[in-house]
Amino acid sequence: MKSVDNVVLRAESLTKIYRRGVEEVRALDGVTFSIEEGEFVSIVGQSGSGKTTLLNLIGCMDTPTSGTIEIDGHETSRLSDRQSTRLRSEKIGFVFQHFGLIPTLSVEENIMLPTLFARRAAKGKASELLEQVGLSHRHKHRPHELSGGEMQRVAIARALINSPALLLADEPTGNLDSTNGEAILRLFTDLNRAGLTIIVVTHNPALADAAHRQLNLQDGHLLLESQL
Amino acid sequence: MLVTLLKMAWRNLFRRRLRTVLTLAGVSVAVAALCSLLSFQQGYQNGMKGELERLGAHVLVVPKGCPYDAASIALHGASWPCYLKEAYLTQVKRTEGVQTAAPVLMNANYTESGEAIVTLGVTPEILAVKKNWLIAGAFPTSNGEVLVGSAFAKKHNLVIGQTFDLPGSAGISLKVCGTLAPTQGADDTYLHLTLADAQRLMKRPGELTHILVRLSDPNEMEGVVGALRACEAGMEMNIVPLSHLFNTIQELVNSMRLLLGSVALIALFVAGAAVSNTVMMAVSERVREIGVLRAVGASKGDVFALILLETLMLCLIAGVIGCLASAVFAPFIEFWLRNRLPFSPTDTLVKPSLTLSLFCLLLTGIFGAIAGMLPSWRAAKLVPALSMK
Ligand SMILES: Nc1ncnc2c1ncn2[C@@H]1O[C@H](COP(=O)(O)OP(=O)(O)OP(=O)(O)O)[C@@H](O)[C@H]1O
Ligand SMILES: [Mg+2]
Repeated sequence: MKSVDNVVLRAESLTKIYRRGVEEVRALDGVTFSIEEGEFVSIVGQSGSGKTTLLNLIGCMDTPTSGTIEIDGHETSRLSDRQSTRLRSEKIGFVFQHFGLIPTLSVEENIMLPTLFARRAAKGKASELLEQVGLSHRHKHRPHELSGGEMQRVAIARALINSPALLLADEPTGNLDSTNGEAILRLFTDLNRAGLTIIVVTHNPALADAAHRQLNLQDGHLLLESQL
Repeated sequence: MLVTLLKMAWRNLFRRRLRTVLTLAGVSVAVAALCSLLSFQQGYQNGMKGELERLGAHVLVVPKGCPYDAASIALHGASWPCYLKEAYLTQVKRTEGVQTAAPVLMNANYTESGEAIVTLGVTPEILAVKKNWLIAGAFPTSNGEVLVGSAFAKKHNLVIGQTFDLPGSAGISLKVCGTLAPTQGADDTYLHLTLADAQRLMKRPGELTHILVRLSDPNEMEGVVGALRACEAGMEMNIVPLSHLFNTIQELVNSMRLLLGSVALIALFVAGAAVSNTVMMAVSERVREIGVLRAVGASKGDVFALILLETLMLCLIAGVIGCLASAVFAPFIEFWLRNRLPFSPTDTLVKPSLTLSLFCLLLTGIFGAIAGMLPSWRAAKLVPALSMK
């Protein structure tokens, strides 16, 4: 397989089968696509169509039943736990619907968390990111003292601290009202303009439309543009 | 790295305060029990050793009867149910390997307030046995003279040259010819008269209660004891080698020690199970959070370390509380034990010590680490995809 210079992510015939006892669930079935550096892509589809499953595979949080994934030219679908941990740490930033902040740590400590596990120091970077998401004045606060929108901005800052090649977000506006949702949308657009590759799973039409491109999932299959 | 992990582990403990406090209480009690038991173990052994050293004798010769009982009386002072003939003393002295044989006639009277007044008739030979004695004034040489133990002198405000009525026995007046510097043993409460005077006052002419024997070479114990038993008066005397007695008493106390030890050990196991359970619950409550940690780059080892650290912290806090509690409650435990032991030395039995506390903390840490293994391993096995749930 040849890798073109500006492709950050290439998925080939991705299939994921979950087994619950004797029952088999084909959450993903032969999904093939690629994403170029600097793209802003949204993944849409009905509930249960396999969006989160796909994001898990892209983010090296799970391994496909068959098929391959390449990130930055590295085959990642058959990595050991140690290797995939390292890859997540270095190349991927995650944003969750539920924010996923650690309640016992301050805003600043939460943002620094990935640097801790990557064994790097990045004190200056943390305050820079805090400023970028407009929360410098909140760095000592605990997550429960913040609004949902603020929490999600902290989570985005945390996802960016190790300068990832890919930002993955699963329903980042799912727990937010429209105003806060718009703020996140603007932040994503700005980050993308600055060169960040973003893949976002969303039900939010505004966010989906803001992306350059939509991947449409239906029952584990990727629909072609012509099928839309 | 470590600082943030420590901080996380520490704060995690306070997320479920009541649960943490309950587990802390359980582990603290177990550690306190262990710590108290070990300090009793040490205190008792040292106390017995000190007691024997203060007694100064290697062998105790007592009248036929229960040797433990007689030895215990000799150590703590009481009235005797049976007597030795003074004539036996010569035979004991003649035995090869005996360096000094000091005859003693002991008696105890009780005052109306229940205080035991222990008088001993002794000869200057006792000075060769009691090498730790420091006497101010003179050793008694004639009738009516008394060498007073420091505690007795203090309690009754006696000074050298003073005459006082012997409490508990009407019409006996004694003159303090000397006082004994504190020995930390039973001698501090005793009154020492000349042997002849004691025999006269107790109406036991020519009789002794026991003989304190020092050997030329304590390593020759077996031979000398054999020789003493073989001598003419051997049938009338019980020869008690004190180092053996020491062991026998230790054995008597062993059953108590075994019981307490089992209780402490069971408590420690139960506490360990409680810790495992608490941390396991904490892990299952934080499945998604642990998934997030994995998602943002924590390795299995990092997660394992975090949970293990949390367990260790819990156990060490409990360990510190337990050690402190055992120090605070030491006097009560001392009192409780003293009332139940067949024989206890005058020294403090349950003496808290730093070394022992540190040892207990180490043991708690080891137990904590073992208790933390299962939940830590469970946590490390949680997959990063759980962060998406
Ligand atoms: N761990 C799992 N074990 C078994 N089946 C699973 C598991 N995770 C997902 N599935 C199944 O796989 C299918 C796709 O799930 P997925 O979570 O990817 O959907 P989704 O598109 O993210 O849905 P939603 O919009 O509701 O989040 C569903 O039928 C789901 O029940
Ligand atoms: Mg989903």
